[in-house]
Amino acid sequence: MTIKLYKEPQLERPDLICGWPGIGMIGVTAVDYLRRTIIAEELGEIESCDFFEPRKVNIQDGLLKDLEFPNNKFYYQKLKERDLLLFIGEEQPTDSTRMYATGEKAYKIANLVLDVAEKFGCRRVYTSGAAVTQIHHTLKPRIWAVSNTKDLVDEVRHYENTVLMSEIEGGPGQDVISGLNGLLLGVARKRGMKALCLMGEIPYYLQAFPWPYPKAVISVLEVLAVNMGIDIDMIPLLEMAKKIDVGIEGFLENLYEAEAIPSQIRNETRESIEKMKYVRETPGPITDEDQKRIMERIDDFFTKGEKGDDRTS
Amino acid sequence: MTELVSLCSEPKLENASLIVGWQEDAGKLGPKVIDYLNKHIKARAFYEIEPVKFFPLGGVAIEKNIVQFPVSRFSTGEKKDLVIFESNEPTYERFKFLNSVLDVAEHYCKVKELYTISGTISPVTHTSSRRLLAVFNEQNFQKRLRGYELEAMTWEGPPATNTLLLWLAERRGIPGVSLWPEIAFYLATMEDLKAAKGVLSFFDHKFELNLDFTGLDLEINDQNEKLALLRRENPQIDKYIRTLEMGISLNEEEQLRLAQGVTQFLEKTPASLTPCSTNE
Repeated sequence: MTIKLYKEPQLERPDLICGWPGIGMIGVTAVDYLRRTIIAEELGEIESCDFFEPRKVNIQDGLLKDLEFPNNKFYYQKLKERDLLLFIGEEQPTDSTRMYATGEKAYKIANLVLDVAEKFGCRRVYTSGAAVTQIHHTLKPRIWAVSNTKDLVDEVRHYENTVLMSEIEGGPGQDVISGLNGLLLGVARKRGMKALCLMGEIPYYLQAFPWPYPKAVISVLEVLAVNMGIDIDMIPLLEMAKKIDVGIEGFLENLYEAEAIPSQIRNETRESIEKMKYVRETPGPITDEDQKRIMERIDDFFTKGEKGDDRTS
Repeated sequence: MTELVSLCSEPKLENASLIVGWQEDAGKLGPKVIDYLNKHIKARAFYEIEPVKFFPLGGVAIEKNIVQFPVSRFSTGEKKDLVIFESNEPTYERFKFLNSVLDVAEHYCKVKELYTISGTISPVTHTSSRRLLAVFNEQNFQKRLRGYELEAMTWEGPPATNTLLLWLAERRGIPGVSLWPEIAFYLATMEDLKAAKGVLSFFDHKFELNLDFTGLDLEINDQNEKLALLRRENPQIDKYIRTLEMGISLNEEEQLRLAQGVTQFLEKTPASLTPCSTNE
C-alpha cells in the first residue's frame, strides 16, 4: 500500500482540496475544474490496486501490457496567494456494493491522503460534496459547511452564500456526510489537522440523477476562489448548467406525464416541486414526508422504464 | 500469511512451476485438468487458504444433492517441480487472495514460473481442433515457450482473475502465462474434454510428464459418439453444428437452442455409451 510521488516541490503551507465522486458529482467536478483552471501539475498517486478492482486489461500479441485502475492522483500548483495541493479520486473504495467508501479501505485511503498533506505541511484540508435538500433546480444553491475545529466554524460565518449545518432553517444541525468527503474530516481531526467540507445544495429529486449538477459546483468554486485568492472563469460551467437544466425540465415533464403514476399523485408531485421555485431560503414548505413520497414516485418512474426516457436504461 | 493453514509438513521444492486452475470454468476445464494432473502426479495437499475472508459463508450451495464448499489448496506430488493450486474464485478481496497465492508460491515453493488455465468460449465445434491462446506477463518467457503451439491473444476489456494473478506475478518478477483453450460454446456448461486434452498435452510436453491419455481419449470418444447420436436424432442440432463447421456463425437464438439441446441431451444420456469407456 504505497504513495508514489513523482516529484517533491517546495510548497509553502499549501491547502489540500480533495474530491471524490458522490451525488451530483459536485466535489469531484469542482476539484477537477479547479485543477484545469490553475493548470495544476501531477504530483503523485496512491497505488490503486490496494483499493480498487481494475476496469480494463490491455493484452496485445499475447503480452499483458497494462491494467487500468481508477486514478487516485495528487496535483499541485504554486499560486500568488497560496500554494495548493489537489487530490482527485475517481472512485470511492468500498468493502461492499455501496457507492460510498466504507470500512477499512476507506480509513486507509483517508490516512494516505493525509500523509501527503502532512508531508507538505498543509495548512488545512477541504473536501466537497452534495447537500441534498428541498431547493428548486432553478435557484442558486448555497453551500452547507462543516468543519472539524471551532475556529474554522467562526471563519465560515463570514463566507458568502454559505451556511453552517447548525444554522440551516428547520434542519436538525446533526447529520451524516457519507463517504470519504466526510470521513476525511474525521480522520483529519484525529490527526490534529484542520479541515472543512463544503457541500453544494442539490434538489432532492435530482439525487439519483445520472448527470453532474454544475450549479452546485459553481457555488463550491466561488467559496474556494475567495479563499485561494484566485479568479475562476465560470462560463463553461454556466453553459453546462444551462444544458443540464434543459435535461432536468425534460425529466420533470416526463415524470409529471408518466401514465404509470396516477394523475392525482402526478399533480401533487408537480405542485410540491414547482412551489419550491418561490421559496428561497428555507427547506420547507414541503415536509420530509412529502419528500419521501416524491422520491418513491421518482424511483417508481425509473424502475418502470417510462417510455420516452432512455436514461432509465 | 495469516490466512494460510498448513496441512502437512512443507515439501522441499526448488524452482517449481505453479499451475493454477479454478473450479468455476467454461467447459469445466479447470477441474478436469487439475484433477487429471493431481491424480497423475499423486498430489497431496500441503497448504490451504482459509475461506472466511474471501467467500460468502452465510450458507452452502448444493449441487446434485452434494453440499459445496470453497476450496483453495496447494498440492504437490511425486514430481517435485510441480505445484498445483486449485480453488474457487474469490468473491471478496481478489487482490489479497491472489497475493496470498503468490506468497506461498514465492516463499514456500520457490516458484520460477506460473501457469494459469481458463476456458475461453468460442464458436468452434467439438469436431474441430482447438487453439490454445496464451497471454504472457513478460516477453522473454513468451520467447522461451515458442514451439509449444501457443497462439498470442489480443484483447481489451474487464480482466479475469487469472489476468490479475499474472499481473501480480510480474510485479514480483515471476514469469507467467495464462492458457486459454477454446471451448465450444455449446459445451460451456458441460465438460469440453478435447479442450482439456489440449491443455494437458501442453503440460505433458512442457514438463515431460508422460501422461497416459487412454482414459481421457475414451471419454472424448464417448462424448463425440453421444453428440453424433444427438445429430442423428435431431436434424436441427445437426444443421446448427454443420453451419458452424462451415465457418458460418449462428444468430443468438440459434446459439441458445444449440446450447440447450446439447446440454439437455448430455445430461440425460448415461455416463458412457461405449462399454470400454472409463472415467479417469
